[in-house]
Amino acid sequence: MRKITILLVAILSSAVFSNVSAQSVDEIINTYFENTGGIEAWKSIEGMKISAKANQGGMEIPVTIVQLKNGKQMTSVSFQGKEIKQGVFDGETLWSTNFMTQKAEKSDAESTANMKLQMGDFPDPFLDYEQKGYSAELIGKEDFNGTETYKVKLTRKPITIDGKEEENIAFYFFDTENFVPIAVQSEIKQGQAKGMISEITYSDYDEVEGGIYMPFTMTTGLKGQPGQAITMEKYELNPTVDDAEFEFPKEETTTEENEKN
Amino acid sequence: MKHFFIAILSAFVFIPNAFAQEKALKAGDYFGDLRARHIGPALMSGRINDMEAHPTNPRIIYTGTAGGGVWKSNDGGATFNPIFDDYCQSIGAVEVDPNDPDNTIYVGTGETWPRNSVSIGDGLYKTTDGGNTWSKMGFENSERIANIIVNPNNSKEIYVAVLGALWSDSEERGVYKTTDGGETWENILYVDASTGCADMTMDPSNPNILYASMWEFRRTGWSFNSGGDKSALYKSTDAGKTWNKIHNGFPKGKLGRLAIAVAPSNPDVLYTVIEAEEDTKKGLYRSNDAGANWEQLNNDFGITVRPFYFSRITVDPKDENVVVKGGLSGSISRDGGKTFKNLGNMHSDIHDIIFDINNSDIMYSGTDGGVYRSWNGGTTFEIVENLPLSQFYHISVDDAEPYNVYGGLQDNGSWYGPSEAIGGVNARDWNSVGAGDGFRVLKHPTKSIIYSEMQGAENVWRIDTDKGLIKTIQPLPVEGYPKLRFNWNAPMAISVHQADRFYMGSQFLHKSDDMGDTWQIISPDLTTNDKTKQNQEDSGGLSMDNSGAENHTTIFTITESPLDEKVIWVGTDDGNVQVTQDGGKTWTNTTPNIEGLPANTWVYHIEASVHGKGTAYAVFDGHTKGDMKPYAFKTTDYGQTWTTIISDDVEIFARSIQEDFENENLLYLGTEFGLYITLDGGKHWSKFKNNMPSVAVHHLEIQKKTNDLVMGTHGRGVIIIDDISPLREITPEVLKQKLHFFDSEPFVMKDSGDGFGSSFGGETQFVGSNGPSGTLIKYILPKRHTFGKMTMEIQDIDGNKIMNLSPGKNKGINIVGWGNTIKNPKVAKGKTFSFGGFTSPRVPAGKYKAVIKKGRDTFEHVFEVINDKETGLSDADIAMKHEKTMKMYDMTQELAYMVYELDAYHQAVKDSNKKLASKLNSLKETLVVTTGDNYVGSAEPQLREKMADLYSKIADSYDKPSHAELESLKIIETRFEDAKADFAKLKKKAKKAEVSIKTFDEFVAE
Repeated sequence: MRKITILLVAILSSAVFSNVSAQSVDEIINTYFENTGGIEAWKSIEGMKISAKANQGGMEIPVTIVQLKNGKQMTSVSFQGKEIKQGVFDGETLWSTNFMTQKAEKSDAESTANMKLQMGDFPDPFLDYEQKGYSAELIGKEDFNGTETYKVKLTRKPITIDGKEEENIAFYFFDTENFVPIAVQSEIKQGQAKGMISEITYSDYDEVEGGIYMPFTMTTGLKGQPGQAITMEKYELNPTVDDAEFEFPKEETTTEENEKN
Repeated sequence: MKHFFIAILSAFVFIPNAFAQEKALKAGDYFGDLRARHIGPALMSGRINDMEAHPTNPRIIYTGTAGGGVWKSNDGGATFNPIFDDYCQSIGAVEVDPNDPDNTIYVGTGETWPRNSVSIGDGLYKTTDGGNTWSKMGFENSERIANIIVNPNNSKEIYVAVLGALWSDSEERGVYKTTDGGETWENILYVDASTGCADMTMDPSNPNILYASMWEFRRTGWSFNSGGDKSALYKSTDAGKTWNKIHNGFPKGKLGRLAIAVAPSNPDVLYTVIEAEEDTKKGLYRSNDAGANWEQLNNDFGITVRPFYFSRITVDPKDENVVVKGGLSGSISRDGGKTFKNLGNMHSDIHDIIFDINNSDIMYSGTDGGVYRSWNGGTTFEIVENLPLSQFYHISVDDAEPYNVYGGLQDNGSWYGPSEAIGGVNARDWNSVGAGDGFRVLKHPTKSIIYSEMQGAENVWRIDTDKGLIKTIQPLPVEGYPKLRFNWNAPMAISVHQADRFYMGSQFLHKSDDMGDTWQIISPDLTTNDKTKQNQEDSGGLSMDNSGAENHTTIFTITESPLDEKVIWVGTDDGNVQVTQDGGKTWTNTTPNIEGLPANTWVYHIEASVHGKGTAYAVFDGHTKGDMKPYAFKTTDYGQTWTTIISDDVEIFARSIQEDFENENLLYLGTEFGLYITLDGGKHWSKFKNNMPSVAVHHLEIQKKTNDLVMGTHGRGVIIIDDISPLREITPEVLKQKLHFFDSEPFVMKDSGDGFGSSFGGETQFVGSNGPSGTLIKYILPKRHTFGKMTMEIQDIDGNKIMNLSPGKNKGINIVGWGNTIKNPKVAKGKTFSFGGFTSPRVPAGKYKAVIKKGRDTFEHVFEVINDKETGLSDADIAMKHEKTMKMYDMTQELAYMVYELDAYHQAVKDSNKKLASKLNSLKETLVVTTGDNYVGSAEPQLREKMADLYSKIADSYDKPSHAELESLKIIETRFEDAKADFAKLKKKAKKAEVSIKTFDEFVAE
């Protein structure tokens, strides 16, 4: 059934000679949700746990990503059996494991505040985007690495970088055939790469539970450079995750001290 | 009737298919992972046209460059990033809307300091999202935009100063105004078709008061004129409705280029620099009454030098008496313009200067050699090190590994540097091989000799790079011949047939068979010898400017056929394509055989083909006659007939072409707005955009060993597309396949090149990127893979899996790299990391398979990897190294499993048998580190650490294991055996405990 819908959409879109003006940004977004499980199915997603692997320099690094509708999230990377958590957010505190000490450390206040602004992004920033205070604009058709896409500009709430407020813009490239995003570009706002353009690409969309379609491959990197690929092995929808997993581990420091003494 | 209906219906159904069948083979649909990489250099940077400060945020600075686009700094000029790569890279002006400075920026294209080598613009652009997306606002025929001013109280009111066309008349000139944010424009100040607006400014306290300087100017291929009756300085007090000349106190007679500046701290104080007929009347003038009266204050060399090139005046925003003037060195006055001293040392030719908005000690200067910063009011300057704006006129390559790229730069000498280097191509990797302006630089085919030159062949150097010996070898005047006329960018060529042969062109073709020691003229004057184009000493207009840059009726390109040394082609700047088939005895001008080419169009490049003795390509550039159309032709009969190979796809004039050595239909075209590629011999062209800016490509080469396309750009340095060989295989047949693997030569598993790629200085210096390394699996997909699974793995030839890789999913060419290794070993879990365990061992040489599964289809490609011969290791040595490496790999995994088992037993008995638990724990403490951290708190290494470190020491070395390493291996083996025995004993004691344990295979596969 899903395939038929996609096919129909493809036929319909070619029938109107793929005129940009014939597509409003909301039509593109709605068709995207329609083609990937339906808006109701998307709205029913409360959380997601993704098991993935990243290939790097002869290593296959297991990665687990957990994201919940209430904004809690974390990425956990496993090296030599040790879990290193990165970008853990419990709704209030953003923290990561320090690679050297393997202890949790809080992110700076600005990053935490910016993270709070994006709490509504899950499961997809375009879902009810207007209610979130975001705006979307169709820039036009653009060729993305040989594939025709609709370039959609998503403007989220402004973030604060090094004491100055900055716009929070991302450009999504929706494949004109399937209406799914195949890439996102945005300007890097902080760190050494500030001012460069980051690029994420998506492929291998496939069905997960609940009839939702998710990308099983993603690459991240800089625009114009080869990206680092990450392959999803499993999407678990609405997983049970202990809240403690997201909490900043207050005790760890003391335990460590005791161990040493 | 029914049949008719069916016919109609089938026509409807089939017409689109018919179109699809005959769909042109357009390269642009399949570029995929073919990507340009930039190697700079940035150490001498390139010409800057305009600097612009953010009006409220001192961290943000913009620079509009002459040939390299617009760059933005977020850190007060420490580093810059390009924000305008998809558009014309020649920039006249950048303006930040003072009412919306974070988001709205205007860029006027077309540089405005019109030296001979300037590029062109194509209009005005606007962004409303800080440079992420740009839209064009018209002015397509403006060619050069000098200023843009947004009313600080009203964003919809914008003024644009159009300097206009340099080489021709143009109606699109003068001052334009919009009051509706750019939807409609009115030309509010126009003089005539040869006079444009060179400078414009607004009174900061009253946006209705405007000043504009109009300049009469014209360049041809052989002359330049600055000045005339039409040049004038105007003022408007009614927002541009009416304009009046403000010349009270100005010199009499014709005027040239005039600059205008208002002191921000006192708008009654104005400065102008005047180019006048009389030398004593030239220089800086000041008005203290908003232009009603003027007084000359200074006419030093620094103020009057080359007005067409240097005219900018900047007044300190906090002090009306601090005035800076662009110039050869740049000048600063602290007494209101009466006296000046030079600015601190920096690259010469200062085009623009701005002050920091809050602190006038901080200045930014735009020069012919990049952007400079001063922290002490202009006394000393430091260069911005990450602006790779170098402007190559020409490039060449050698056959070293990695190969070097040679080329000459506008005002920045001649250079060569490696196409790849450890840690990337750094500033320190480049070598200077010529002074002045640099043009062509050629490497002797076999000897360590480099030929380079400076403008007009005033010096042609022969450099012995081994011995450090340098000699000048330019052809000198010859008895019985007229004065030699060399182009500013004089042609030189070498021969593939005679290694010591060296050609140069004046109006004659000069040949040397002994590397320039002796010369022979082997042609008559091959140009039109039009005397009206040879009066360079009269060039410049009001300010004489006989730099040699306008020398004309000269030879501009020389090429010897790679198939026959007697076939030589010569192209001249006045339109002749001459060929000899007998080594210079007789010459034929073939230009009359070219249809559709305007007379006397500059022959920019001739490429003699490897596909036929009589085959050649000629590229013509008419831009110095105001003709911006591309012209490229091909002949297969020594020029008797020429066929155009340009399609409508090419948007602007071209300068160079490169043919593919294998596929005659595959051609590369360097145009003023970027690179184009055709797969069908020029019937259709596609612009190459993958990390490739719309920059002027002056010359192209293919390096024959690597098949890299190397481009000399005039504004973004050297740009390389690695290995273009997949393009040779793209045919309609290949595209019918669901997936097609490209053929590959065996890959060498390189042992060199992993040295100490220091990143010293990399924080703020540009570092050119290296090409992809390892084994590269290349394939083409006719369509992007977006839905469903697509996986890739490397298998040995028997089909055993070695490694998962992430396949590319792009439409077109995909390139997947493999480091020739298997997965790194599974390492025992400890308190900290065992860094040796992150090493992945290399596979043995041999044949392997890349297997792609896409939906229900499986695609296989067999390829070979071979050992690096450079190490001198025998096959037996390599086999021994592999055997020991894998032994330690296996031991590492066994130990990992043992620790896993031990933990499981410990877990099972820790409550029931505390004594055993304690013994297990003691054993574990000898196997892995159980305390400390990964930095200075690290614990004493245990068996795991020692094992993994030795493993990685052996695996990472190019050499076979040493005696000491083998001894060490024995010690570790013994210790491991002991530990195994100890563990076996402890396991027996725990036999009653219920322990659920994965098998070894399950464990390592996790």
